Amino acid sequence: MQSVVKSPGSQISVGLSPLRKFWQRFIGFLFPPETDTWLAVLRSGLGLQVIVYALFLRSDWHYLFASSGKGLVGREVGEAITAFDSPLIPTFGWLVAVGRNLNMSEETVLTVAWVGLLSAGCLLLLGLLSRPAAIVAWFVHLCAAESGGLLAYGADSFMTTALFYLMLSPLPDRYSFDHWVAKTKPKNPQLLGFWRRVLQVHLCFVYFIGGLAKCLGNGWWDGSNLWRSLIRPPFNLVPPDLLVQFKYALPLLGISICLLEVSYPIFIWLKRTRRIWLGCILAMHAAIGLMMGLYLFALVMIVMNLAAFGVPSAGRRAQATSATTEQ
Amino acid sequence: MYSKRIHAAWFGIHFFLITAVCLAGVFWLIAQGSTILPSACRRVRAKAELVADLVSGKRGRSFESRSERHRNVSARRWHPGRVQLFAPNVPSQHRLTLELLYEDGRVEYESPHVRGKTAALRLESLLDRLAEERYEPVREVLVKMLAFSVWREHPDVKKVRATFGAVNPPGMNEFEQGKTETFQPMFSFDFSLRDDQKQ
Repeated sequence: MQSVVKSPGSQISVGLSPLRKFWQRFIGFLFPPETDTWLAVLRSGLGLQVIVYALFLRSDWHYLFASSGKGLVGREVGEAITAFDSPLIPTFGWLVAVGRNLNMSEETVLTVAWVGLLSAGCLLLLGLLSRPAAIVAWFVHLCAAESGGLLAYGADSFMTTALFYLMLSPLPDRYSFDHWVAKTKPKNPQLLGFWRRVLQVHLCFVYFIGGLAKCLGNGWWDGSNLWRSLIRPPFNLVPPDLLVQFKYALPLLGISICLLEVSYPIFIWLKRTRRIWLGCILAMHAAIGLMMGLYLFALVMIVMNLAAFGVPSAGRRAQATSATTEQ
Repeated sequence: MYSKRIHAAWFGIHFFLITAVCLAGVFWLIAQGSTILPSACRRVRAKAELVADLVSGKRGRSFESRSERHRNVSARRWHPGRVQLFAPNVPSQHRLTLELLYEDGRVEYESPHVRGKTAALRLESLLDRLAEERYEPVREVLVKMLAFSVWREHPDVKKVRATFGAVNPPGMNEFEQGKTETFQPMFSFDFSLRDDQKQ
């Protein structure tokens, strides 16, 4: 019989093996093999989003972001509140200060910012100069969202988030002009899976917390919240007389929305239920956009969902591609 | 592998902070009493909210008494409770009516307005914020600026009385009975333009 003498080091390594297995599984989850199709969806979708955002705000851009005495409330109050959070958060005040040194008026700076944002949107849609365009779009949109923080709503925070992830993702994708014309290739294609995971997990947080908060409100269980939201100006696109005819369906719809959102982090990962959940979520956002006029909010959520879960995962094909590349 | 570790660490920190902010938001909603949970939960949730706020770095700084209220305005601005549209409940609609008093005794009624529909949505968002207690420190300034935005279009106005209030829509059954929305005034301000501002 052989006596086995274990050294303290080996005992530690035995103790660590489950931890190491967990770590390997975690790394496997974070860095799955992935193609860049989802990134093309996110890039072109956000390009369209930025264009629509800029065009929708075209007539009010100066009025919303001008300083006190010229605009609606003046951007100084919003910027002061932002500065309390952190003086490092970019605002239009930064750009105006830079413009002043170049003898540019505030109005000119705001016009340049708007043109920059619209151009960045067009470039993103085409996939030309993808990364610089993503950075410009994120920066200018963040300035707008922070300077007009008091006027911001849900769509702004989702746009900032989506543009932030896009900016960090391994651009350009193979469907972009950068790839066709300039033959530019991404520096870290192995990170495609990682950034898709980040987007997926982020959406799970959004829907779970949103669903949980809705479940805690009594108005979602009896349909009164749906009624209130649909008759409330400026979301009242559907006549109340028409809504009343569906009054028995509203509680059912309200409960469905709560359950759909709170269970999203579970059923969106299961292959069998993914398509159903994704279809329902997309239908919900399309309905929000069409029935309440929240077009920007609907579009950004649809784009994020499609990029995160709408494009089939590359699976074996990408694994084979990455293996070939590594060789 | 080194790059993967860095990315994994970033992932962990990023979503840890998001979790803390989200939990703080949910606990805040409960502590505010805006949920169906019983009031006994509120005290516990308020403590939990404090912990979550500390973790997310929202209460880690030493507050100066003068700027404390402003900081609280800022800290709550991007709260998930604020960001999540229509959760847990749909907020009341708010309206700002400006009574324009001319020198010749005429009276006109106006509301702050914008051109586009998207901007109108943002204006609604601002009005909803004005009603909240945490925006009380900047409320008068904002109402003054909104009044001034209308005043610029009517330069011969002598005084402006701004009345802010909540619009309560009828319930489904009330609507069927023919009831319409009701307006509940919350506060009002009187503004008069000084001669130096007129120039």
